Amino acid sequence: MMNYIWAGMLILGIVFAVINGRLNEFSDGLMKSCTNGVYFVIGLAGIMAVWSGIMNIAKETGLIDFVADKTKPLIRFLFPVGLKKETTAMILMSFTANVFGAGNSATVFSIKAMEMLDAENHRKTAASNEMCMFIAVNMSMIQLVPITVIKISSEAGSINAGNIIIPSILAGLVSMAASIFICKLYERKRI
Amino acid sequence: MIASVLNQISLFFIPGIITLVIFFGIYKKAPIYDLFIEGTKDGLKTAIEILPFIIAIFVGIEALVSSGAMEFLERILSPVFQLLRIPKELTSMILLRPVSGSGSLVLVEKIVNEYGPDSFIGRSASVMVGSCETVFYVLAVYFGVTAVKNIRHSLSAGLVGYVVGIFASLIACMYI
Repeated sequence: MMNYIWAGMLILGIVFAVINGRLNEFSDGLMKSCTNGVYFVIGLAGIMAVWSGIMNIAKETGLIDFVADKTKPLIRFLFPVGLKKETTAMILMSFTANVFGAGNSATVFSIKAMEMLDAENHRKTAASNEMCMFIAVNMSMIQLVPITVIKISSEAGSINAGNIIIPSILAGLVSMAASIFICKLYERKRI
Repeated sequence: MIASVLNQISLFFIPGIITLVIFFGIYKKAPIYDLFIEGTKDGLKTAIEILPFIIAIFVGIEALVSSGAMEFLERILSPVFQLLRIPKELTSMILLRPVSGSGSLVLVEKIVNEYGPDSFIGRSASVMVGSCETVFYVLAVYFGVTAVKNIRHSLSAGLVGYVVGIFASLIACMYI
């Protein structure tokens, strides 16, 4: 599926660039964006390295097992099949990092969690229910303080930039409920 | 008030976790440093693995944005948005958000400065970014590290969550 989507994006881009006479911007943009991609990953690589190091300590010392045992009931609802403790812990870390707005760290935990879910996936080329649920919850996970947006709005002279927090959390929760519902709905169908 | 309290809690997240892990390690008399280095290698490997997927998605999105394809999509969809009573000032942000996090932030900045941060439009834009994710980008990157070809219902779950989030943001900003 990705084959078609990606090809579609590029071809649509080229067609519109020709129609709009923007071939120059198109080429410049393309070259700039791949460099940006590399910069982004370089930034992420450091964070990823640090967190993988910290999580390795937690794993080898047994802290992960401890936390995973304690939080099992919480995770059960979303992931009824027994996941490995390490995977559970990584999923938890990803969710909490999201809630606390640790942006790039959250991305790192999520990518790691996906890797682990992939290792536990028996179907290999089809996503498991757990993967879909993880991504769905992860995408709609609320953030206690959406700090970037608050900064933007206070710099623009907002009298109380913090007043977007409650609506954001509420909207996030509603959207999360909707995503979980869709996942649960599909899980009842077998593939 | 609430904002600053929550912010303080958030600030403690990273230092808190590190402290916990380090002290637990010392208590268990584990070779913390060696374990850290070992884990770091694994992290760097993952970073290299995701690079191709990040480049692919960055390039694909840029192709749509710089060519004006997104603007076209906006234009053909604007009657639909109007029908759904979504303010037209927000259409481009709603369409860009699922594919580009940084792009949508730039748009929010523009919207907030143009319509005022405390206006309905400004607040809705902020709340949307605060509560709706970059669906396509996340799917491309997260599934990038896996062997998965068929992403099943993750796309529909993400999209439904996104659309619901957009409407929930508008409604929340109307009443709160």
